[in-house]
Amino acid sequence: MFLTPEIIAIYILDIIFLVFASFAFIISIMIVKKWDINSTSELQYSLEKRAILVATIIKYIFILKLPLFIFFVFTADKISGVITGAMCAAGVVNSISFGLWLFVFKILNLFIFGFWIALHVKDMQDEKLSFTKLKFSIFIVAFVLLVVEIFYEISFFSSLDVDKIVSCCGTLFSVASSSSFSLIFNIPNNVIITTFYLIFALLVFFSFLKKELPFLVINVIFFIVSLLSLILFFGTYIYELPTHHCPYCFLQREYYYVGYLLYITLFIGTFSGISGSILRMLRADYKKIFYKTSLIFNSLYVAIVTAYPIIFYIKNGVWL
Amino acid sequence: MIECKNITKVFNQNKRNEQTALKNINLEIKSGELVVLKGASGSGKSTLLSLIAALSKPTIGEMVVDDKRVSKMPDNFTAMFRRQNIGFIFQKYNLISTLSSYENIILPTIPSNPDEIELDKRVDELLKMFDITSKKESHIKNLSGGEQQRVAIARALINNPKIIIADEPTANLDEKLSLEFIDIIKELKQQKRTIIIATHDPLFFNLDFVDRVIEMKDGQILCS
Amino acid sequence: MNHFLIGFAISSLFRRGAKSFFTIFIFTSLIFLLSSILFISNSIKEELFITLKSLPQITVQKLQAGRHTNIEISKIDKLLKLNGVQSAIPRIWGYYYFEKAGVNFSIVGIDSFDKQYKKSFEAIVKDVDFDELYKNNSMIVGEGVDKVLRENYYQGVFNFIKPDGELKKIKIASTFKSATALESNDIILMPKDLVLEIFGMNKNEVTDIVLEIANPEEIPTIAKKIKNLFPDSKVITNSDLRVSYQNIFDYKSGMFLALFIISAFTFFMIVYDKASGLSSEEKREIGILKALGWKIDDVLKAKFYEAFVVSFISFLVGVMLALFFVYTLQAPLLKDIFIGYSRLKPVFDLPFAFDFQTLFLLFFLTIPIYIAAIIIPSWRVASMNADEVMR
Ligand SMILES: Nc1ncnc2c1ncn2[C@@H]1O[C@H](COP(=O)(O)OP(=O)(O)O)[C@@H](O)[C@H]1O
Ligand SMILES: [Mg+2]
Repeated sequence: MFLTPEIIAIYILDIIFLVFASFAFIISIMIVKKWDINSTSELQYSLEKRAILVATIIKYIFILKLPLFIFFVFTADKISGVITGAMCAAGVVNSISFGLWLFVFKILNLFIFGFWIALHVKDMQDEKLSFTKLKFSIFIVAFVLLVVEIFYEISFFSSLDVDKIVSCCGTLFSVASSSSFSLIFNIPNNVIITTFYLIFALLVFFSFLKKELPFLVINVIFFIVSLLSLILFFGTYIYELPTHHCPYCFLQREYYYVGYLLYITLFIGTFSGISGSILRMLRADYKKIFYKTSLIFNSLYVAIVTAYPIIFYIKNGVWL
Repeated sequence: MIECKNITKVFNQNKRNEQTALKNINLEIKSGELVVLKGASGSGKSTLLSLIAALSKPTIGEMVVDDKRVSKMPDNFTAMFRRQNIGFIFQKYNLISTLSSYENIILPTIPSNPDEIELDKRVDELLKMFDITSKKESHIKNLSGGEQQRVAIARALINNPKIIIADEPTANLDEKLSLEFIDIIKELKQQKRTIIIATHDPLFFNLDFVDRVIEMKDGQILCS
Repeated sequence: MNHFLIGFAISSLFRRGAKSFFTIFIFTSLIFLLSSILFISNSIKEELFITLKSLPQITVQKLQAGRHTNIEISKIDKLLKLNGVQSAIPRIWGYYYFEKAGVNFSIVGIDSFDKQYKKSFEAIVKDVDFDELYKNNSMIVGEGVDKVLRENYYQGVFNFIKPDGELKKIKIASTFKSATALESNDIILMPKDLVLEIFGMNKNEVTDIVLEIANPEEIPTIAKKIKNLFPDSKVITNSDLRVSYQNIFDYKSGMFLALFIISAFTFFMIVYDKASGLSSEEKREIGILKALGWKIDDVLKAKFYEAFVVSFISFLVGVMLALFFVYTLQAPLLKDIFIGYSRLKPVFDLPFAFDFQTLFLLFFLTIPIYIAAIIIPSWRVASMNADEVMR
């Protein structure tokens, strides 16, 4: 058990989220069950009003969750000073068996909540509110995921152990690591780089073709391949160390916080691609601007990660 | 065109204090028409006006304005509908007394984030039209009853609405001011606006430019 | 950004002056309290870290019956034989409780030929003639000690009470001031032999032995070796100390934050209550706005802009006041509670320590709570039936 001010802040917010999301959850169930836009009953009118409350709550949670994600990494980074062996957030997160899962849920939930809001905005422009039932059904799922995330987060901080010696990124993200995660290190560099640029080329292609389904799929794949290539290849050039594969360390000051820039551009790029495609599949009149947003931010991401090995090569005349 | 289709409004439905304010109202008001709703207090005039403005929803029936089913629109759309189409003049002026005339007049435009220069031009025009330019920055609580009424009318007109709804507009005015108000209504009528006035002020019943007087009693229309 | 809407929100705050002022006042107090706590704890941590940097890499102590006792000076030779150990310095130090003032002094023995294990002492003892000091029975004291002694009418000398009850009169040769006040304000430096005499210690014993290691990477390995060599020893590395210090302070501020949670909850309830208890005038106002074409969302937006203005003002004022309170006024009252041992330690100054991470933390601990407290009341107001204005 471990109680720094940062952790208390996260706990407090988790509890607020939990309480408010539970409210929203109950209302969502009522809406999914009883919603009938053609009814003139008092019940329907009050549901319409409550739907606005739920939307407000979800916006509140999402808007806080964005900076909280960064705050979480900050906190884990800070705690790494106390936990023996941990040098950055990676060591802290991985000192708990489900640490990686916590991360996966955090990212997943950001995507889902963000998508929910995009859907909501679209729904509010529709006189028939035709997405309302869908919207609230999605929230019911999102609520469960949120509860899992919060549960993970609380048990994560309460099971941190100062006396336990953990291994940090150096060993976690290396070929020698015994975790199942290390299997990815069997992928040769040229394969991952080729895949990365190939997928990106496809993404560019489909963004000009403006076909929703392939664009959606390619964005999901691009997100995953980007993370893999970042760990396997591009990261090593950020650190200028062939053996350092950590996806957290470049969030630190030594690397000019470039990690935040990378993750934010990648998030905006793939998020707008994925949510835009889904929304456009739901409604044909959804604006096509998301193709551009997605393309711009994904390209920005590619440009930044590409710059690192190239600059390294120009400076040193060799590859790592 | 405003169509009330078989409208019934029940307050506090299924409660002990259940109250049927309107019963089976069927009414059509054409564009540009001036209609006076007359009837004793409690006969359902205000309730009908609020339904036309989509401020509340009917228990049964449908309200259709310019082919839009306003009674079935969600809040976003009814608000937009009111903002663009309806100018309200209330009995008690319903101005915010701690704001200035200018601030009150621009209230209906705020959500649409107007262009400041154009807005100022429009406000000045209205202030001039109603002869209250010198009161632009005065707080409402420092204005006389007549001035307040004129600020309220200016506010109703700021978005240049097609429909004017006035609920007991002369109840708090003396005879002179009431006649002044009638002149303004005449002017608005000439501008081809649809006007609905709920009142029991006899001044309105024999005006030559009124198209129809509709009498209401106990939530029903007597004759038209 | 709709500046008309923001303007309207601000004017609403002004128009409900008393209520807004009340909210801003308690919110500011809350932020002030919290920032003060965090600033103080940051300062103390900073102070400790400066101290820790100058601490020995490895300290070897002897345990007997689970308690720290004096260690034989003869062990030094064996320690020096370990690979990687650059130097081993015996230390003689301890606490002297000055009953009359209720204060503990730290007495540290120094020696002319010993290499100073603390950089900070090096500067102090550079120009001191130790033989002179020993011959004259005199000592060098920190400013805090000098102050306490003066307050108790000791001018230039002090009578130590030895374990056998005899008095030992020691003169004050000079006073010093050091960079980190927390560490050295209560320190008395005097020749080792005098310390041995005052504490009644054996000539062939010392308090502990500190080691200097050539390569910091080897510290854990060497620590393990020493433990094997002398099973009765307690080996403390500087990183152990860092962890335990950080723990203590995070824990301490954790305790205060627990208190904070209670006040935050109270605050939440007050705001919730204030935001829910609408005057009929306010209700009428919202009704008017909705009749004039404001959406529920527009009313909510106006409410949130109000909340942002309140938060922003309170945050700014609260943090500024806390900066002033902690660093200019040196946090009267709060510092004492926080440090806990203030009565046992002479006073020290809080060094300025301020970073954006703390601001980030302050933000997350306060503003979301306020916004959360107004969500439901604001929604209630905004979704009220607007046809009331027609009545
Ligand atoms: N919000 C409400 N809740 C309950 N009863 C209401 C409400 N509004 C109006 N009523 C009732 O409906 C009836 C019609 O009222 P109203 O339309 O205000 O009449 P008028 O404007 O002709 O005086 C009255 O009996 C009134 O008490
Ligand atoms: Mg009435």
